[in-house]
Amino acid sequence: MTRKAVVVGSGAGGSFAAMELAQAGWEVVVFEKGPSHFSNLGGEGPIGTLFSNDDLKMNVRYFAGPDPEVFPRTWRSVGASAAQYTGSVNDLPQLVGGGTVHWDAKVPRFWDIDFQQLSALGPTPGADMADWPFSYADIAPYYDEVEQLIGVQGDVTAMPDAVLKHAPRGAFPMPPGPQQRSSLVVAAGATAVGMHPFPYPMAINSVPYHGQHVCNDCGFCSGYGCPVVARPAALMPLRAALRTGRVSLVPETMVTSVQLAGSGAAARATGVRWMRMTPGGPVTGRESADVVVMAASAIETVRLALLSGFPDASGKLGRRLMMHSFIDGTAIFTDERMHAYRGRSITQCAQDTCDPDFPGARAFAKANGLPYIRGGNMELGGSQDPIEEGQSYQTLLGFVRSSRPFGTEFKQLMRSSILRDRLAGCQLIGNDMPYLDHTVTLDPTVKDVFGLPVAQVTWSTGKYEQVAQQFYIPLLKKMMTAAGAAVALAVPATTDSGGLPTGFHIMGGMMMGADPATSVTDAYGRVHGLDNVYVADGSAFVTSGAQNPTNTIMAVALRNMRHLAGTPA
Amino acid sequence: VSSNSDPEVSASWPEGDTSPGLPRRVVITAIPAAVASAAVIGASGCTSPAGPSGAPATRFFSSHQAAVIEDATARIAPGPNDDPAEAGHPGAREAGVTTYIDAMLGSLGVLNASAGGGTPMIFAGGPWSNRHTSGPDLMATFSALDPVTRMAWRKRLAGWQQQYATGIATLDKLAGGDFTKATPAEQDKILAKAEVGTFRSLLFEHTIEGMYSVPEYGGNHDLVGWKDISYPGDSQPRGYTSDEVEQSDGRDPVDDTGVVADVLKFLGGL
Repeated sequence: MTRKAVVVGSGAGGSFAAMELAQAGWEVVVFEKGPSHFSNLGGEGPIGTLFSNDDLKMNVRYFAGPDPEVFPRTWRSVGASAAQYTGSVNDLPQLVGGGTVHWDAKVPRFWDIDFQQLSALGPTPGADMADWPFSYADIAPYYDEVEQLIGVQGDVTAMPDAVLKHAPRGAFPMPPGPQQRSSLVVAAGATAVGMHPFPYPMAINSVPYHGQHVCNDCGFCSGYGCPVVARPAALMPLRAALRTGRVSLVPETMVTSVQLAGSGAAARATGVRWMRMTPGGPVTGRESADVVVMAASAIETVRLALLSGFPDASGKLGRRLMMHSFIDGTAIFTDERMHAYRGRSITQCAQDTCDPDFPGARAFAKANGLPYIRGGNMELGGSQDPIEEGQSYQTLLGFVRSSRPFGTEFKQLMRSSILRDRLAGCQLIGNDMPYLDHTVTLDPTVKDVFGLPVAQVTWSTGKYEQVAQQFYIPLLKKMMTAAGAAVALAVPATTDSGGLPTGFHIMGGMMMGADPATSVTDAYGRVHGLDNVYVADGSAFVTSGAQNPTNTIMAVALRNMRHLAGTPA
Repeated sequence: VSSNSDPEVSASWPEGDTSPGLPRRVVITAIPAAVASAAVIGASGCTSPAGPSGAPATRFFSSHQAAVIEDATARIAPGPNDDPAEAGHPGAREAGVTTYIDAMLGSLGVLNASAGGGTPMIFAGGPWSNRHTSGPDLMATFSALDPVTRMAWRKRLAGWQQQYATGIATLDKLAGGDFTKATPAEQDKILAKAEVGTFRSLLFEHTIEGMYSVPEYGGNHDLVGWKDISYPGDSQPRGYTSDEVEQSDGRDPVDDTGVVADVLKFLGGL
């Protein structure tokens, strides 16, 4: 008899879950909370889209959602206090394709020590460090398969030995595309201070690939949906899923609970309940399923588990939320324009500081009472667009022209373009420890448009992360100065955000593990205590690594769903 | 920062059951049709027909309110006639920032219309304008909003309409009755006052948007905002060549005097 799965979410994890189960003969219903801005998804040839080179639509007006007016979250820095903020809290896009719509498609792999951070590097005070239930060698074939399907550009011959030692790999499906001027300039600075930059692995087509367009370097990349769908990512497994004829993709519909029956060892899911807004008001319904796969992204999957009353024998459901500890670098060049509005954003990276043995790091850690610290992958280059640039000057004029913070000085700054055309960015994606008190809970008062409690995020920068930032901020400044920057500014991203987590990398809350006493899901993402409910997104992560997480989300989802597909009913 | 969500839900919700039959209307195969059904607003849709006086008709503002916003945004982003330092540099007036803001606020009426109200000017279409190539401007056909997004924008725009009505009244009051009768120097002093700080921030953000967003939203008229900052704007479907991406455009020192020097110094000291 045909088995039926409900998949919650159509992003990086849900798309691979739908493909894997449908290709194994399952009937699959994919619920996506947001709309679709694509056409021809299940057809032949190029996928169509409503995305465009539109700064306002993407960066100001929430075209990729979620709109915090109807789907807010709340945030607080520490538990046992009231929420300090209501609005967008590191929201990933909410639409068909999920987080692979707004991203600039960076797909580095995690390192071997990311999967064995406890056994390889030892415990860290205050953190709930653990190993993943598999190794880099176990997951590597799934990385290969993901990269072949979605299309990844890169140059293995340009990758430094240290990276290949920790994440060995073969050739990329396609070569790198043109390198952004801003990336090359900052990369030269990185080389000058002893680091080893190389072309950033990116899921962007540098050649025609699987019927989709080549990137034409329009420049509206990070934060934008691609107008020519040259970085389709999740849309490729979604297309493969839809082509089986066994998959229904249902947008604009929010799964509001996983329905559970039985108790104790017999507890299992019978289906899901959903809600959809219509012009006449909300409509509710249910969908039965043999298996429910949750892939709504780390925060929303935890929220759904809490709304559904999942068992929690380990006490870790919703704990160990990880965000990455970003350092924002700003290099300003006064003699030359960087024109980062051209090209796929940020084409160079450096992974030297992912290594706990980066020169000086061990000694600095020990001097601060820690066994080790790690930085993270550094994104070299890129800039911002005029609306965000203008907002930056609006803020700065409050400091340098407080008596009249507007007028001709604003326009002079816009013409100088020191924070756009003369800017090259540099971000360090810092390893974020799993802490038991960094959590997703249900907010006690704030509700979404459907009247359901929203996710309350409790997260702050821990001691390990602060020490790593203190060590690596001077390195970023040194690197940008070596690149020729007249001004080299580097601050923790939370300095600008008022403490709010930033960077759109969200992981944990439903950690995998072999032991039900110390983990929320098993070695294949199945929820302990519910034998037919799985997670297939970043919530299953055990550690945050020091890299952009999406490639790992997809590879782990593929591995776990293949296991599920091969499990007898 | 959003305030708490206030769901506009009906007391009794119709119950659907997808078990036997999914809601096929919204499965993915129907999406191209949904996209195609987006109401068409022509390229001129952002410019209103002329009113009786010859001034452009407005969607939300009264003629006086429009005049206050025109003056206030011209203080925030002055043009040649607003500040001698801006000779040769079009500002908010020339870019049509008031038209941009009015079109945005006026979209609430479109959202509230029960039927046949057209498509609000919230999300310009895609995937490109053909601005640098030949062909139709596909951004000029605004995208339809899904029901949840319509609710979000009704809430947001209702709040902004209220802030504008109150903010304009406050500017008038501080000017002794009519902000537009105040001298530019007096207008600057009023706008710099702490008591209008919140409204000024909102107006500043919307001025930035009206200056530098794609022109389909009603601002950045004739691309004057982009031209003034040497920015080409949207580049699809042309994109850039490898050389344009990789090569330096050559030495081009910034004029690092005045406020530019002060900002560089401020950032360097952080």
